[in-house]
Amino acid sequence: MAARLADDELLITRTFDAPASTVFALWSDAEHMKHWMGPEGFTCPDVEMDFRVGGAYRAMIESEEYGESWFGGVYREIVRDRRLVFTFAWDSGPSGGVETVVTITLEERHGKTTQTFHQKPFRNAERRDSHVGGWTSAFVKLAAYAAQIANVKEYTS
Amino acid sequence: MSRDPLSLTLSALADPTRRAILARLATGEATVNELAEPFAISLPAVSRHLKVLESAGLIARGREAQWRPCTLQTQGLKSLDDWLEPYRRFWSGSFDRMEAYIAELKKKGKHDGRKTRR
Repeated sequence: MAARLADDELLITRTFDAPASTVFALWSDAEHMKHWMGPEGFTCPDVEMDFRVGGAYRAMIESEEYGESWFGGVYREIVRDRRLVFTFAWDSGPSGGVETVVTITLEERHGKTTQTFHQKPFRNAERRDSHVGGWTSAFVKLAAYAAQIANVKEYTS
Repeated sequence: MSRDPLSLTLSALADPTRRAILARLATGEATVNELAEPFAISLPAVSRHLKVLESAGLIARGREAQWRPCTLQTQGLKSLDDWLEPYRRFWSGSFDRMEAYIAELKKKGKHDGRKTRR
């Protein structure tokens, strides 16, 4: 696990049997998003998005066991069918309100689309450049990243 | 906020100086003086940080009264490491559903033409 998080980033690559335009629509259309956001056992009954650079989105996933969990952020980069960058933060939980940045890139080949999902703490670069410096240990970086996303414990078992 | 071990660990890590101390200890044990050196803060301030780290189970301190060298305790971080995995599962689980939804859209598309919106 340390290897795949070596640079304190979460990286998930998936190939979908659909053109990039379809995959992009699943991210950019609130009605589509309701069908897939949240792991099994959750529903996503509420999504609102102002899909433009600088626009905000807000959504909620829900399960019997964990109740409602709200999250949201702001779109920072939109390249239709190819790339999407947005901030992501849970409303509550131990690190509620702590922003991360998600970058989605899509690459279509022969009608299939490879989606690369990439998430990292928003303030990471700032911290890396700060006076403390020197926290080169992947070990500690992993822990710091975990702290950023602490609230997830609430949503999954 | 509860004082369960995970919350203690997380709040201990929510400070750049304490993370830097941990980074230093990842390279080997050190005394309070050695740990204080790179920082523009007083020894008592460093001691306070160490207390927080110690009560979170992230470091241990030697018992020799004078030196009390600090060492990294991997158990505290191990529990975080174990618990980072669910976050991956959150997205992976969503993408599983995304895959199923795409299959559903495709099936529907055969009947409705290319339009994928509801």
